[in-house]
Amino acid sequence: MASPVPPGGRQKMGREGFVTLGRALRYLGRYRGVTLAAYAALFVSTGAQLMVPWLVRHIIDTITDGVTANMILSLPAQAQAAAATRRGVSLEQLRLDASGAENAIIATGIAIVIFAVARGFFSFVQSYMGERLSQNIAFDLRNELFAKIQRLSFSYHDRNQTGQLMIRATDDVEKVRLFIGQGLIMALQALVLLVGTLIILLGTNVKLTLVALPVLPLALLMFLVFGAVAQPLFTALQIRLSTLNTILQENLAGIRVVKAFVREPHEQARFRQAADSHLEQNLKISRTFAFIFPATFLIANLGQAAVLYAGGLQILDGTLTLGQWQQFSLYLVYVFFPLGQLGFIISLLSQAAASSTRIFEILDAQNEVEDRPGAAELKHVEGHVEFRNVSFRYFKSGEYVLKDVSFAAQPGQTIALLGATGSGKTTIINLIPRFYDVTDGAVLVDGHDVRDVTLASLRSHIGIVLQETTLFSGTIRDNIAFGRPDASLDEVIAVARAAAAHDFIMSFPQGYDTPVGERGATLSGGQKQRIAIARALLMNPRILILDDSTSSVDLATEYQIQQALDRLMEGRTSFVIAQRISTVLNADQILVLDKGQIVARGTHEELMESSPLYVEIYDSQLVEDAVLEAAPANPDEQEVRP
Amino acid sequence: MMDRRHIFETEARKARSVRPTLSRLWKEFRGRRFVLVIVLGLAIFSAWSQVITPDLIGQTVDCYLTPYGQQQLGGPQNMAQAAEQNCWFDRQTGPLSRDDAVAGIRHIVLLLVALFLGGAVTTGLQFYLTRWAGLRVLRDLRVRVFEHIHCLSLSYYGQHEAGEIMSRITNDTDTLQQAISFALVQVVRGVLLILWLIYAMFSRSVPFALISMVTVPFMVWATVWFSDQARRAFRRARREIGEVNADLQENIAGVREAQAFLREEENIARFRQANAANRDANIRAVAFTSALAPTLDALGYLSVVVVAGVGGILMLRNQDLLGTTISLGLIVTFVSYTQQFNQPIQLIATLWTNIQSAIAGAERIFEFLDMQPDVTDKPGAIEMPPIRGHVELRHVTMSYLPGEPVLRDVSLEAQPGQTIALVGPTGAGKTTIINLIPRFFDVEDGAVLVDGYDVRDVTQASLRRQIGIVLQDTFLFSDTVMNNIRYGRLDASDEEVIAAAKLAYAHDFIMALPQGYQTVLGERGTGLSQGQRQLLAIARAVLADPRLLILDEATSSVDTRTERLIQAALEVLLKGRTSFVIAHRLSTIRNADRVYVIDDGRIVEQGTHDELLAAKGFYYDLYMSQFRREARAPSNGRGAREALGAKG
Repeated sequence: MASPVPPGGRQKMGREGFVTLGRALRYLGRYRGVTLAAYAALFVSTGAQLMVPWLVRHIIDTITDGVTANMILSLPAQAQAAAATRRGVSLEQLRLDASGAENAIIATGIAIVIFAVARGFFSFVQSYMGERLSQNIAFDLRNELFAKIQRLSFSYHDRNQTGQLMIRATDDVEKVRLFIGQGLIMALQALVLLVGTLIILLGTNVKLTLVALPVLPLALLMFLVFGAVAQPLFTALQIRLSTLNTILQENLAGIRVVKAFVREPHEQARFRQAADSHLEQNLKISRTFAFIFPATFLIANLGQAAVLYAGGLQILDGTLTLGQWQQFSLYLVYVFFPLGQLGFIISLLSQAAASSTRIFEILDAQNEVEDRPGAAELKHVEGHVEFRNVSFRYFKSGEYVLKDVSFAAQPGQTIALLGATGSGKTTIINLIPRFYDVTDGAVLVDGHDVRDVTLASLRSHIGIVLQETTLFSGTIRDNIAFGRPDASLDEVIAVARAAAAHDFIMSFPQGYDTPVGERGATLSGGQKQRIAIARALLMNPRILILDDSTSSVDLATEYQIQQALDRLMEGRTSFVIAQRISTVLNADQILVLDKGQIVARGTHEELMESSPLYVEIYDSQLVEDAVLEAAPANPDEQEVRP
Repeated sequence: MMDRRHIFETEARKARSVRPTLSRLWKEFRGRRFVLVIVLGLAIFSAWSQVITPDLIGQTVDCYLTPYGQQQLGGPQNMAQAAEQNCWFDRQTGPLSRDDAVAGIRHIVLLLVALFLGGAVTTGLQFYLTRWAGLRVLRDLRVRVFEHIHCLSLSYYGQHEAGEIMSRITNDTDTLQQAISFALVQVVRGVLLILWLIYAMFSRSVPFALISMVTVPFMVWATVWFSDQARRAFRRARREIGEVNADLQENIAGVREAQAFLREEENIARFRQANAANRDANIRAVAFTSALAPTLDALGYLSVVVVAGVGGILMLRNQDLLGTTISLGLIVTFVSYTQQFNQPIQLIATLWTNIQSAIAGAERIFEFLDMQPDVTDKPGAIEMPPIRGHVELRHVTMSYLPGEPVLRDVSLEAQPGQTIALVGPTGAGKTTIINLIPRFFDVEDGAVLVDGYDVRDVTQASLRRQIGIVLQDTFLFSDTVMNNIRYGRLDASDEEVIAAAKLAYAHDFIMALPQGYQTVLGERGTGLSQGQRQLLAIARAVLADPRLLILDEATSSVDTRTERLIQAALEVLLKGRTSFVIAHRLSTIRNADRVYVIDDGRIVEQGTHDELLAAKGFYYDLYMSQFRREARAPSNGRGAREALGAKG
């Protein structure tokens, strides 16, 4: 029986996978009661299941015996004795059989019903408890993953994409859950059923068992072949489907390009090819299944036929009863059932092993920025910030993005950071709230090394406003109160007014309760930015980090945002990635960065004299402030330029 | 709340008109229907073989085992006569010898083996043939849907998000595929099997059949009730998992903000809540599914007890059941029959919803295919001859929504080789004007003429083939850089692609990519900066070398160096072609032969940059607010002095 096994075979499972799966299984210990209930129910229900064919045999044998006894008792007297002898029972026994048969049938019937109900109840308990168990473990794993991901430092998130982490917390957890909830219980049940059935079969009739037995390894082989063949086939199908969907996706998103370049025929040919290849793979799977499934059932049925024949002969010889014969064919089903699940269990197992490895990879990930033991609370902050010979690189072997940077900001000062993309501006502002740890040197806030204080206390004094603002699902109020969920509505409104956001918020029908985020109202870039400013204002931080550029907004809005930003910076130590001329003009200190080093520093007037790089940046990168109502350009400003 | 209702609505949808959808689906099987007829025949046979097996086992008991056993005990030879009518294989009258009995049993077993073999072959064939026909139909549907995507006009895509259309199409085809390739076969088999079973039982004995089937109504009821409850519970569970996923997505993507605002603990606590709700909803849902199988099993054993008990007691009392003589074989056969009801009932119950949503899916697919494009080639449309480059909009009025015109009586003209700049505030109608030239939309009134041809009189393909379009948001395919540029002209050689990239000042940054021209770009060009994507789009247009060019300049700011490259590349691109530019760069406007100022769907001013500035009208104000800052920066080339000079 040649089976179409494609090259490649089943995917390899590392030992490591099983070790980590073992770790996942240790979570069972947290739910001892439920675990115990699930497994106890498993044994009871499987036991009851094993009893039922035996009872069916009993009811049939009772009928047979009763009918036979009736028949014998209706024979002439001598014949009665002869028949009884041939049957090997006494006449009294026959009479008893005949008269007690009806009651025996009723009793056995009741017993079957009781066992069936018991089995039903316990198998319900078993799968319900199994589900509770697995859902609870998935709940724990997901919570732990989420908490870990929330706390892992920026460097970790730089290396890992959102989508990848999502898959860990959804698909991978689900696969481990399926194994614990179904696979494990199924495996144990299959084992108990298989062993129990074989014992009963051998105990009932060794010869007949031996007739049926050869079918087992054959069926086992088929199931294993199936398991080995199915997975790569489906993986290939999935790949082809995603190719198909990619073309679809691109053509929908890029429909204007396709139409503009009249590429419809080209794209259609591409799609048709992908659709054909998908069809082809699908048909290949169909062929394989069309062979394997019926073949496996055929093997099982041939086993039944063998029992029918051999059993029939034994009945003729009087070495087997009709009931036993029926019992045999019922038990045969029990033997095949676990075998059929074997392939499924193995695939659950291998997937769960791979998934648990990926889950524990995250849970075991080293958090690069953590409170050190005994870190102090940073209570009151004046706003003094100092970089002392700071060098930084993102990876151990990577290039330095900051080299020996030193500067100090006095409380209340505004520090403007200037430089080309990649010059190190962003890195500097990321080091102040300790999103990363310096490679060399130290960052000090009010004289405390940021590594010596707790992250929470440090960050609670720092407000951040970036150009790109993520809004979270929830109401506008929730988003403004993002950093202080306990803020009162009055406080929220006060900061929204200061951020020039109150008016547009009130223009929504639901005002502050307007839902935003992925599934709520869409806010424009300028509106989001003002929410971000309000959010930072509410934190009332001593130290402020911001990007003063405005998204593409109309003049009036741009003006409002600028006003709000200026209000925000008032009286706080501010670090600004500067895009506006007024910011650099008003800055107490301008740091000009190039390739990770401070190449010039000073006030605008000083730098205009001393730094050609500053002049170039000033000319090419900075934009003038918005002035309302398209008023004529201030001619004075022209004179500022050299 | 809004999102919940949304999920509920989208998911609980049933087909509005089942019959027309089904008949249309049936039409799709045109040319493959013979296969379905064969499948039906095969299904009838395999159901029959399944039904006949218990009967043959019953015959073994009644025709051979029982008579021989009783005979051995000296019993009468007519004991099983009633049952013998049912025996398929003749045996000699008179005493049944052991050899006869063995031969009879062997006959039956051989017949069974033949039936099993036949059943296996027909099952396999059924499975494959159904999928063969179904998957082919589905492949054709997929291709037609895809082609229809190209057919529909841009107005459709203005009203529908790409993501939304995408998920609708993939979901609908997926459910349809599942139903066609799996559920359909199973349900047809299940129904046939049940019909055969009922027939077989009733043909043997009507009263005994009725008694044996006493649990069937309960089975049906239990199945329907439990699956209904489970479906409801799972609907809730799906909603909860949706919440969990949304929470995950948002908080992982926004983890930096969360850490900056110290939201970690709050987020963790909130996630825990959503996660717990999801866990509880799932446990609740599974309570129903876990209860179904044991209930049906118990009912199955109950029918065994009823059949064996009633049959056995009647046999013992030697009584008939309303004319039916009960034999051991009959009991054995009926016990087996009752066990066979279980599986198909469960199968049909679970797959029924599957089939329902597949029909709804098919309905939506057909709806999509039936959607008429707004812009079509008119019958007898001619091929557009090679374009010289004269373009005219003649009193054009246009509206996307009736009664809300976005263009009102717009007339403009471009001579071959001229660059026309369109300037105006957002929403003024600039984009609409450039969309009318390649006939992405049709005008409501007036006409768009290219070289004197009304664009509605020529085929869309021949018109667009000669027009190059560079859009603001550069769309790149997940393919190599080489192929993305080649999109401009598919038959271009590698050398031509590289030459175009050099002309468009894209060559240098491409060579700096890890694999140069062979670098595969991520989805929608991720990994490239905004400016680099624009350079690629320009290279694409340079390669296409159209006579007529439409350019929507990007507003997004790019760094100074790239900005200079883009300006230089645009100069190359615009040279010698008739060009329409939605201009955001001062340099582009200054170099334009003519500037049209659009406001609120009308052309309010026109002329050259200098003329318009001198007029101190709308353009002057616009210039003052939008371009002043750019004019100040000397990096733009000619710099502020020039601009200011013009002003004076």
